[in-house]
Amino acid sequence: MIDFTWKIGGEAGFGVMTTGVVFSKIATRSGYNIFDYVEYPSLIRGGHNAYEVRVSDQDAVCLDNKIDILVCLNKETFEKHNHRLLKESLIIYDKNEFELDCEYKKIHVPFDQIISNLKGSSVMKNTIALGASIAVIGGDINILLNIIEEQFKKKGEEVISFNKKFAELGYEAVTKNFSNLTKKWLSKKTEILPKLVITGNDAFSLGAVIADSRFYCAYPMTPSSSVLATLASWQQKNKMVVRHAEDEISVINTALGASFAGVRSSVGTSGGGFALMVETVSLSGVTEIPIVIFLSQRPGPATGMPTWTEQGDLLFTVHAGHGEFPKIILAPGDQQEMIELTTKSFNLADIYQLPVIVMSDMYLSEGHKSIEKKVVDKIFKDYKVDKGKIVNTKKKNYLRYQITEDGISERLIPGTPGSFYQANSYEHLEDSHTTEESKYRLEQVNKRGQKWTTYLKQDFCLPKIYGDINKATYVFVSWGSTKGIILEAQKNLDKKGLKTAFIHFNHIYPLDKNKVKDLFKNNKKYILVENNSWGQFGKLLLQETGVEIKERILRYDGRPITVEEIVSQVIKL
Amino acid sequence: MSTLQDFNGYSPTWCPGCGNWGIGIALKQALIKMNYDPSNLALVFGIGCSGNMNDFINAYAIHSLHGRSVPTAIGIKIANHKLPVVVIAGDGDCYGEGGNHFLHACRGNHDITIVTHDNGVYGLTTGQVAPTASRGYKSKSTPTGIIEIPINPITLAITSGATFVAQSFAGDAPHMIEMIKKGIEHKGFSLVNILQPCVSFNKINTYQYYKERTYKLTSDYDSSNFKNAVNKSLEINKEKFPLGIIYETTRPTYTEELNQLKEDTLINRKRFEDIDSVLTDFI
Repeated sequence: MIDFTWKIGGEAGFGVMTTGVVFSKIATRSGYNIFDYVEYPSLIRGGHNAYEVRVSDQDAVCLDNKIDILVCLNKETFEKHNHRLLKESLIIYDKNEFELDCEYKKIHVPFDQIISNLKGSSVMKNTIALGASIAVIGGDINILLNIIEEQFKKKGEEVISFNKKFAELGYEAVTKNFSNLTKKWLSKKTEILPKLVITGNDAFSLGAVIADSRFYCAYPMTPSSSVLATLASWQQKNKMVVRHAEDEISVINTALGASFAGVRSSVGTSGGGFALMVETVSLSGVTEIPIVIFLSQRPGPATGMPTWTEQGDLLFTVHAGHGEFPKIILAPGDQQEMIELTTKSFNLADIYQLPVIVMSDMYLSEGHKSIEKKVVDKIFKDYKVDKGKIVNTKKKNYLRYQITEDGISERLIPGTPGSFYQANSYEHLEDSHTTEESKYRLEQVNKRGQKWTTYLKQDFCLPKIYGDINKATYVFVSWGSTKGIILEAQKNLDKKGLKTAFIHFNHIYPLDKNKVKDLFKNNKKYILVENNSWGQFGKLLLQETGVEIKERILRYDGRPITVEEIVSQVIKL
Repeated sequence: MSTLQDFNGYSPTWCPGCGNWGIGIALKQALIKMNYDPSNLALVFGIGCSGNMNDFINAYAIHSLHGRSVPTAIGIKIANHKLPVVVIAGDGDCYGEGGNHFLHACRGNHDITIVTHDNGVYGLTTGQVAPTASRGYKSKSTPTGIIEIPINPITLAITSGATFVAQSFAGDAPHMIEMIKKGIEHKGFSLVNILQPCVSFNKINTYQYYKERTYKLTSDYDSSNFKNAVNKSLEINKEKFPLGIIYETTRPTYTEELNQLKEDTLINRKRFEDIDSVLTDFI
């Protein structure tokens, strides 16, 4: 079985991040699966950047604890990450730049010399590093050369061949002098299915396109910003309109206006931006205008730690918006779920005419996972745009907020001849005029509330259970992006003879009280796992169902929970 | 052709003598003159006495949040750029709470018309000072007089990139009708700032006050000259109020600049189905 981790580190601003993605693509183009993650400070220059890729011939669902190959573009990389090296781990570095006094297997690559010989710039260190890495793991250098061709296609043959030289010299530096240390970890598979290397943000972007969302509005905020960049880069192709507005308040109100006019719309932000949007979340609730909000969390409060990860905004999101109105919250567990649930979120917003919030976090938003292209093709093929009770024909005595059994009223597209209505921020009558009368207030509050009941009946999904809950001693309970890490921890615990199950929630709110309660009837040791300090999902579960989980594994230093932490804590129990 | 009756909603609840009455009628008359009916345009209301017009006029509309009518209107326009979009907002709404949106809407030359009810006070919350009130104006929230100097919405709009900037007076219905009509006809961002007495709370900026200090621009005034227009607008700082089109120019509108909308409106275009063309980025 192939399962190794490659990590590269260097000074921020010198291309470590793009190098990481290229490495991931080399692995998938060789027929393997990847999971990767990036660490970087909230700086453009001067800090430490690191990127690690786990490569496997099985499904790679999270990071590993060990590092098999560490590419040190500076000495700091070694100092920061050597605690995860094994005795047999390989280090790629330039001994002319710094010496490493250690037992690990050292591979000297003369980065500086190659660059000065070819009169290249220091960014090209990355290309050398990729060439050297491919040699070390026994990969096909042509895959890298092809990627270089694709990258510099627009710049012409001269630039392409110039860049290729750096890759080739890096490759040769290893094959010539260190062939005794090279591995066969990335031998090209005979059958290679096309795979996508995507982040959670990419997955949201794809989901929005598949769902026929035509308007996206955002203000840049880490870690959600790449959705804005990705969708903006596609808009000439797919004719989506992408607006970078003056602030998050404008963002969500613009999107709500577009949605009122009949266009599927979404916005994206992180916790601070979402805080600014909250009044309009409430407006969406009362006017019953659909909106999809992508919320990628980072550690708060306030500016917090912008480039790190946390699941700290769950309770804020659940309670976001003044007054009482229904909303739906989804939290995908990985890239594939992100595509699926994003496409679902647009249908839900239209069907129930309310705000739907899709939650992510830096870990899911910026880490890549490979996914077979045919999986995405199938999601697209199977997807049906369901706009719910939307109408665009002339209606006699049309009532925008008509009382109905399911709580959902017909939504007329503005501009439809022969009719009119207002989407009213104030409490209103069925015909949308303002009212403060008790009778009508009650009618409308109940009507809006009814939408939750309908949703729970029609579209709510119970959490997926991984492992056999009947045989399990321990049952993990978690939500969103922790999925892969817990799945991996289950495997490790299984090897140690400990049987576990895992209840993973991705339909977060509202919860079906009775059905969810039933999942906790077994006499098991339930363990709550969350990337925050309060155990926010545990609190929500208690609030909504009365179920209290006492055992908790929480991490809140901005880093994702690791498999090892979970395993060691369970063993201690 | 539509009639006043078609546009009439509930009977207004504005105070007797309030300038809103005149503005409300002028808006309806302008729409009738332009052959609109309640089904083929969109109105966006802010929150305040002016925003309460939502129930008094029939049309596809959003009664939005305080300060947020402008971005809401921009969204409607982007989704269906063939629909005329008019914003009804107050001065506190548009220049205070929503000041940032106002600036950026001017820059973007979004093809919307803002009809601002500029009365210098927050009427609906019983008369606190608004951003357009004269320095020293005493109100419940500024008992010793406001320290800030007033916003000059006309100068602000012209210098921020608005392509149509007009001023009118709530006591002159024919003039308002003309300005609103020209504003809606204009391609691009248009502001019609309407000076409006608040009979209940503003005892300074009365009908009499404005009658003495407003004057109509004459036909020899060149509204296409930027510097000229800025200078003209600065008269407001000396309590002299020009009425008419103060500045007018042409620049492609926001939606005209969007290639995506060249062939059809965003709402009417076909679904994009060439998913492969975006998936290639990730292989």
